[in-house]
Amino acid sequence: MFLALKEMARSKVRFGLLVAAIALLVFLILFQQSLQNGLITGFIGAIRNQSSPVLVYSVDGQRVIQGSILTPDLEAAARGVEGVGEVGRIGQGTFTALPTAERLGGASETFDTTVIGYDLGDDGRGLGSPAALSAGRYPTADNEAVASSSDQASGFDVGDTIRILPGDEVITIVGLADDAQLNVTPTLFASYATYEAAVASANPDAKGVLPNVLAMAPAEGTSPEQLVANVNAASPDLDALTRADAEANTPGVSQVRQSFQLIFLLYGLVVPCVTGLFFLIVTFQKANTLTLLRAVGAPSSRLVGSLLTQVALILGSGIALGALLYYPVSQQRLGGIQLRFETSAAIFWAVLLLVLGVGSALLAARRVLAIDPIEATTGAGVGR
Amino acid sequence: MKLALREMRRRPSRFVTATVILSLIAALLMLLGGLLDGLIQSSTGALRAQQAQAVVYSSTSQASLVRSRIDPDVRQAVEQIPGVTAVGGLGSAQLGARVPGNGPRDLADVALFGYELPPEGVPDPPAAGQAYADEILKADGVTEGMTIQLGPARTPVEIVGFVRDTTYNGQGSLWASAATWRSVLAANRPDAQLAEGVFQALIVQGDADIAGRIDEATGGATESLTVTEAVNAIPGVREQQSTFNQIIGVTIVIALVVIALFFALLTVERSGMYGVLKALGARSGTLFSGVVVQAVVVTAIASVLAAVLMVVLDAIIPPGSIPLQITPVRIVLSAVLLLLAAIAGCLFSLRRVLRVDPASAIGTTV
Repeated sequence: MFLALKEMARSKVRFGLLVAAIALLVFLILFQQSLQNGLITGFIGAIRNQSSPVLVYSVDGQRVIQGSILTPDLEAAARGVEGVGEVGRIGQGTFTALPTAERLGGASETFDTTVIGYDLGDDGRGLGSPAALSAGRYPTADNEAVASSSDQASGFDVGDTIRILPGDEVITIVGLADDAQLNVTPTLFASYATYEAAVASANPDAKGVLPNVLAMAPAEGTSPEQLVANVNAASPDLDALTRADAEANTPGVSQVRQSFQLIFLLYGLVVPCVTGLFFLIVTFQKANTLTLLRAVGAPSSRLVGSLLTQVALILGSGIALGALLYYPVSQQRLGGIQLRFETSAAIFWAVLLLVLGVGSALLAARRVLAIDPIEATTGAGVGR
Repeated sequence: MKLALREMRRRPSRFVTATVILSLIAALLMLLGGLLDGLIQSSTGALRAQQAQAVVYSSTSQASLVRSRIDPDVRQAVEQIPGVTAVGGLGSAQLGARVPGNGPRDLADVALFGYELPPEGVPDPPAAGQAYADEILKADGVTEGMTIQLGPARTPVEIVGFVRDTTYNGQGSLWASAATWRSVLAANRPDAQLAEGVFQALIVQGDADIAGRIDEATGGATESLTVTEAVNAIPGVREQQSTFNQIIGVTIVIALVVIALFFALLTVERSGMYGVLKALGARSGTLFSGVVVQAVVVTAIASVLAAVLMVVLDAIIPPGSIPLQITPVRIVLSAVLLLLAAIAGCLFSLRRVLRVDPASAIGTTV
């Protein structure tokens, strides 16, 4: 053990380069894990964290809220289905919004902003509202909204006002909800009438605003899955989904997951390959020394133990350094994406890479175990 | 140099693992670059194809087609600017399309464009009720002469030909006359319909520097961008480019470190040999060139293996699953970056090669 540490202290550049390579790989893996989760949350957080257990799209919408339009006959067909408890309309559009908070010091930066209109109900918690708030209250009147909390620094905090451009429609933020963005833009949950007014403000030629989606809760004794089946059986032009399915089937989500999985696989393979190769070469280079140590009585287990200690120390240092590099980055926003330190992902990757790295060093350990002390007299060693 | 190549021929096994690792890294570079190219290409084709010196949006639209509206009086003001040679309206509508022969829930995602000035590769606007389709829609079963139905109103549109590389937001595009687009929009998206003469954007041809003058002439009612600026203004394009390029950059640094590590280990192993060679008259430069040659060869082989892997991957990935676009330019660019990283990585071994003392050859076992 002592020799293992001494060797590392004497060959700082070699071992340092390996630690650097592993640290950079770990940093990239963790950063991309954050990026993937942040991207998906920013993309569909407003669907995941809203209160309606079932969402009914038109087939034409291809499971994109803004692309879906429910004509009056389709809406009537959906509302008439057996097992329906509560129903509410949802309208969604992307608008240009100008935060007008005084604390921004007269800044005039405009933002692509999603407005989700829903039937407020008595207390603002109608179907389609954010499932929980992190600050403030639910909207109880028109031109009030709950905003996605990740955008509060941009002028979307409680008490701030937002002007929809073009036009004079002004919305006041009364509450905040975590992870409630849609399409990676600041997102406002307001009354359906507020949404209609925003559409009319942005496009004076608009002739009638139809709901994009219906929010549904099943009647007592009916499960969300049963309700979905009933709605879909009612018309081939209706596309009902449970909240989880609506989230998972939003176009782009599965492509993002698949793309990142491929990237993770390749990065995950590089770590054990680099570690395995390094220790194999080092073991070859130490062949004569290891043979001599065996000849003077050092047991194989001690030599293998030293090797595995080095592997564990190098991997541990690389992983720790990678996580340290990742921490400050994970506190940043990347465009509209809020990154965050994913502790569970960090632990998962640390354990996986440690196991794979140690596993890859077993090839070098096998070489050490194959050393015959008698070869100290012939000079063959493990390198033969 | 000959010695270095001979060593690789005689003892290929010692370079195999490094080649495998570099192949993985090269594949990563090509995959990341291919994903970036695929995402950008599928999002921006319709704008990249525009033959224009300026794309004009309304000033509050954030350069978004669906949020922009250009009234006829603004268009008139643009047409009167000296240096403007042609102005055409452009509008879009993103809808589901029912394709004959497909299931009732199996719709194709389309972006219908109404245009007046033809983009590159797109003929003049067809007759009312007809459209040219991007060839990507062939994968959805769209054929020439077929009539597809757009949106919940099932507006019929006949496909009269195919064009290429004009996708928009990942959707296959349809190119129709302004009148067709306007009627489809009114029938299917009443909240987005526009009055007669109103367009979402203007395509302006004329002097190269016309974009700046347009916004002046319209009194700030417009935001005029070059085609490149308009492409970069599509939501997500700039962010995707910046994020992917940073990841690619760090991956190249990893390649550099791996190469540095591998050849530093080899150089340590060869110190005795280098001492003998120096004692026989070999210069440090010659010995270091050998290291560089080996690094370049290993990297070149890894790049070829990775390129083959990516081409195979590109071929087997089902259309629409991952937006991967593997191009020769991306492969060559990745290989060149990797080769530069390899050469830079070898510099870590230079100090050790220079430090080898020919006198150490005396009395050492090589």
